Amino acid sequence: MNKKLRPYAYSLPALAVIGFIILFPIFYTGYISCTNMNIYHWFNFRWIGADNYKKALFVFDSGFLPALLRTIMWTVINMVVQVIVAFFIAVLLNSEGLKMKNLYKTILMFPWAMPAYVSILLWRMGIYNTEFGLLNQWLKQLGLGPVNWLSNSSSAFLACMVVNLWMAFPFMIMTIDGALQSIDKSFYESATLDGANWFNKITKITVPSLRPIIAPAVILTTFTTFKQFDIIFLMTQQQGSNTGANIHTVITYAYEKAFITNNYGYSSAISILIFVIIMIVFPIVSGKIMKEEVD
Amino acid sequence: MKNAKKTMAFLLTACMIGSSFVGCQKKSTAATSGDTKKGPVTITIWQETDATVAKTLQSELDKLGPDIVVKLERKEKLGDALKLVGNDPKSAPDMYFFAHDKLGTFAQMGILSPITNFISKDDMKDLMPMTVNAATFKGEIYQLPVYFETQMFMYNKKLMKTPPKTTDDLLKYMKENTKGGTYGFAEQHSTAYYASAWMHPYGAFIINDKAEPGLNSQQMIESLAYHKQFIPYMPADGEFNTVTTLFKDGKAHSTIGGPWLVPDIKAAKIDLGIAPMPIVNTTGKPLTPYSGVQGICVLKTAESKKAAVTAVLKQLLKTDIGISLAKTANCAPANSKCYDNADVSGNEMINAMKKTAESVVPMPNIPEMDVMWTVTEGMLAAINKNNGDIKTQCVKAQKDALSKIEAMK
Repeated sequence: MNKKLRPYAYSLPALAVIGFIILFPIFYTGYISCTNMNIYHWFNFRWIGADNYKKALFVFDSGFLPALLRTIMWTVINMVVQVIVAFFIAVLLNSEGLKMKNLYKTILMFPWAMPAYVSILLWRMGIYNTEFGLLNQWLKQLGLGPVNWLSNSSSAFLACMVVNLWMAFPFMIMTIDGALQSIDKSFYESATLDGANWFNKITKITVPSLRPIIAPAVILTTFTTFKQFDIIFLMTQQQGSNTGANIHTVITYAYEKAFITNNYGYSSAISILIFVIIMIVFPIVSGKIMKEEVD
Repeated sequence: MKNAKKTMAFLLTACMIGSSFVGCQKKSTAATSGDTKKGPVTITIWQETDATVAKTLQSELDKLGPDIVVKLERKEKLGDALKLVGNDPKSAPDMYFFAHDKLGTFAQMGILSPITNFISKDDMKDLMPMTVNAATFKGEIYQLPVYFETQMFMYNKKLMKTPPKTTDDLLKYMKENTKGGTYGFAEQHSTAYYASAWMHPYGAFIINDKAEPGLNSQQMIESLAYHKQFIPYMPADGEFNTVTTLFKDGKAHSTIGGPWLVPDIKAAKIDLGIAPMPIVNTTGKPLTPYSGVQGICVLKTAESKKAAVTAVLKQLLKTDIGISLAKTANCAPANSKCYDNADVSGNEMINAMKKTAESVVPMPNIPEMDVMWTVTEGMLAAINKNNGDIKTQCVKAQKDALSKIEAMK
């Protein structure tokens, strides 16, 4: 086979599977977004062009912009805390002479092993619950009154952030830990001989060496965090357990405005609009990170 | 060696792609012959109910054998599954057993066949009017009611000697007995399904059968203002798990709940009492909850098996199933003749539900109700948990409901 075509031939089966699993649903959603598929036209829907998009843009009303800003704030704060804390934990795990580091790594991976749905509900019931939650039990022991952690928007935001960090740390720690193993030790030895202290080594050797290695993980986690739905929804907005906090992100906002209407055409249009927003933001963010690496 | 690796790589890839098509295999159908063919006719019924109820139903419908073989299949996310395959004769079931509140959605989608195509209204004369009402959408009866559920005032006999007769009595009791993590009364105060019990005595409603939301009515505002005075004496979050755990642990003297709680409560060795719903002093009417009617619906794809479907429906019209369900699962039968049976009429819980059947409001079965749960709960959470102004939140919720109903079209 032609040498140029051979890589494509080998990749073709995998690309076909990816195309079927990832691309087809996106294109099908786009197709449905241009139809009037809803309960009133469930099997006999027809093409209506961009009507759903015109209607969808009205969804981006007074509530959408705060939801978008909140989503950006949620993403930025989570990513900054995640990377910094995971970095320091990984550095500590790689300290020379640290005993039982494999045990510590195993324990730190535990949140990753638990299904997200279960973890979120355990946090909601076991930690934040007003009657039985651990936090309020501690407050009770201190003679203080209970706090409804999830009804106030600010405390609910922080509570959700803690859960997100708890679930996200294992991946970031593991990525940074792996990246730290790859840094040549001779750099540190040379730095020690030149009189560099711990802080100099971290800032001049460790961080610059880590950046190109953890950049893909950071980009991936940024987008996962941006489109986070389950934590916000299960903690504050689940039917039957609405806490009253208004911490809508773009996805939960779209869900509440569109997806519960059983109007699949309309919901698909909202999904595509959110997809477009992410696709506009993605090249800007990843381009910036890649540019910094090259520099 | 190189060729062997290439061959292995291709084979493995082919296996992976091939395995992704496994789900496309044709469903093997047993004797799903229509009425005109000889041999037993198989009727498939999807259900997502309690195992005891399913077992009782299966035993009852096994009596139709060997000419009619009824298979009850448990289907998780039954509603979503029906939306996907409801009009596909190869994948859809013939019937399904579920609560009545979704039948409007499925009827609107066009996948249901009115049961009056198979049995007459006269055949249903013994069914309680409330249950037949719940099964009716746009003038057509789409469900054969089998049993119904509603909420009851439940109390711990060891902690509460005399259940309150009125809501003023209840409030007084709550004020005297709520302290140190113990509550005189705990309920899911901000869940629409439970909070509706406080709305109906005022004549308020979440949505009517004309799909008109009523969240900003004066009656709704008054009912929420009245209900709000009880909130400070209840657990702040008012969630299902919190409320039921408090009651099972003996930290809540009373609650409002459905029959589904009873097995767990009895397992927790609570001396359970059932009392009539307290009367709201300001209106003279009792707390009036929603009711859910569980029954069987027929899909259009089963119309070719008319005789078999008719036989199934007529079997479920008999009192046998209602009595069996009452004995095995404490279900309140929809067939009024079942209450002539001593086992049914002697069951305290079933009797309590039968009494409330005279005044309960069936959950709206119209498709528009789907959007109302979230909107109503948002309103309740804002008022009860975040001290929002009642009128402002009601007006906001009404606007939201109207826009969501419009968005459905």
